[in-house]
Amino acid sequence: MIEQMLCQNLPPNRYFYATFLRTYSLLISCSYTRVVFCCIVVCIIGCGFTEVLAGENITVDTTPLSTQKQALTFLEKQADLKASTYWPKVPPVIFLQNLKKNIEQPLHIYEGRSTNFCAYAALSYLPLHDDPLGYVKFMVKLYREGKAIYGKEYFEPTKAVKLAAGTLTFKGELDIRPADQIWFLSLADHFKGYLNFFDRHFDFGDENKMWAAVNFSKFNRMIRMLFNYHVDAVGSDLIRPGVRDVFEYLSDRLKTGNVALFVNNPNLYKKNHTRLKLSIPTHFIILLNIEEVDDRIAFTYWDYGGRSLQLLSPAFLKKIIFGISHITKKPADAK
Amino acid sequence: MQNKSNYLLLLLSAVLLLSSCASRKVITSKYYFDNEKTLTNIEQSYKALYREKPFSVAFTDRSFNYISLEIITDSIKYMYEFEINEPRLQDTLLKYHLPVKGLTDLIVQMRSIHCIWINNLDYYTNNQKNYLVFMSIRPVAIHLPFTYEKYFILTFYAQPQYFDSEGRLLANRRVRKLRKINGDIFQRINDKVCYTISGTFR
Repeated sequence: MIEQMLCQNLPPNRYFYATFLRTYSLLISCSYTRVVFCCIVVCIIGCGFTEVLAGENITVDTTPLSTQKQALTFLEKQADLKASTYWPKVPPVIFLQNLKKNIEQPLHIYEGRSTNFCAYAALSYLPLHDDPLGYVKFMVKLYREGKAIYGKEYFEPTKAVKLAAGTLTFKGELDIRPADQIWFLSLADHFKGYLNFFDRHFDFGDENKMWAAVNFSKFNRMIRMLFNYHVDAVGSDLIRPGVRDVFEYLSDRLKTGNVALFVNNPNLYKKNHTRLKLSIPTHFIILLNIEEVDDRIAFTYWDYGGRSLQLLSPAFLKKIIFGISHITKKPADAK
Repeated sequence: MQNKSNYLLLLLSAVLLLSSCASRKVITSKYYFDNEKTLTNIEQSYKALYREKPFSVAFTDRSFNYISLEIITDSIKYMYEFEINEPRLQDTLLKYHLPVKGLTDLIVQMRSIHCIWINNLDYYTNNQKNYLVFMSIRPVAIHLPFTYEKYFILTFYAQPQYFDSEGRLLANRRVRKLRKINGDIFQRINDKVCYTISGTFR
């Protein structure tokens, strides 16, 4: 009877639980096992509910979206922003100007010359296009209070980072973009991967060193945790992804979401005059467009604060790509 | 006889070991003075051509037969690779309204002194944007095995720069801090030209 009841009441995807209970129903004859059984049932039902609730949450757990206009309106209301005691080298006026520029020209965010900030700049492409309001709200709160929550992450950058932001120099345009310095330094300070194992604490100049380095898995984790995207990734830090037709694979992915690539930078920038070359990925870029032009591939991507277009052979393209992240929004009706 | 061959083997191993640790022949400012006329010509013609249409040129191979041409517009940077005598190069220059003669002359001059990259870089002094011409030269001395390539880098400024007592480039007059470009410290050649030896060409 219990068996019937269980099978009728539980949905098909709870069949595992039904089988489990069916086995234990044999032990019900003894009172002790009956108590234990009841406890297990309560736990299972509890777990089931948790799962169902989590499932229901998926419908609310969508990728936050907002518009450029909303972000600019929010920034206009911050005109009275006072100098932060947490970020002593970042004047509020320049900070707000920098944020405004990022919202108005999202492709212009620039990681700086000879830094290891390319991954942080590449992932900024996502909030600057899809949720600029979320990005500016976080930045203003971080500036004002020295701590803030972004997505599932709580940020409270170290004192060394707070003192360094606004003082980075000789990095090109990053020199005059203190809000971007705060953003990149805070991300590098907060997220750690195995590449940062031996250099976990920020010292001046570490923006060019392993302290700021990003491996492929860390890059994908940052996107999932901060912006709540769904990320499908293939590839690794050393071995290329086993994709037969890279062009077809990338064009398919680009139709349904954003695509970030982990590439070998010296090869991307055609440096063939050295004999000693390490074939490892060192650079993150955002793929913007890909199309076939005769026997070549026109490859348009974002990096270093702008769009670039290169004509590459399919073999060369395959050679330089080590990681492909397909980043899609979680829609409101997602199950 | 056995001893003699052992000694020879030992000597050969020592030479190999030493050469693997050696760096390339160090090129100093003497290179600039030996090639001053050509280098100044390249810098001046690049600046003039850049004013017409922003671009950069790099040689991508060891034999200086292939170039990578970056044509910079407001919205996108086009990057093409050509063999230097390829007709496609001229077609592309015409398409993007780049002066064909000026640019091919520049490429020939660059090739003659093994200049592998020329570009206009922005740098900031007191929050003001400035530009310098950045030139990388690949020395042609014999390359030792197991060593990284070293490049002779020249930077040309529009204004006179400030240097410390050791001739190192400073950030500006007030801040007695060394200015680094791509992480490298630069040495004075004259008030507007500096050099360094670097492991990276761009």
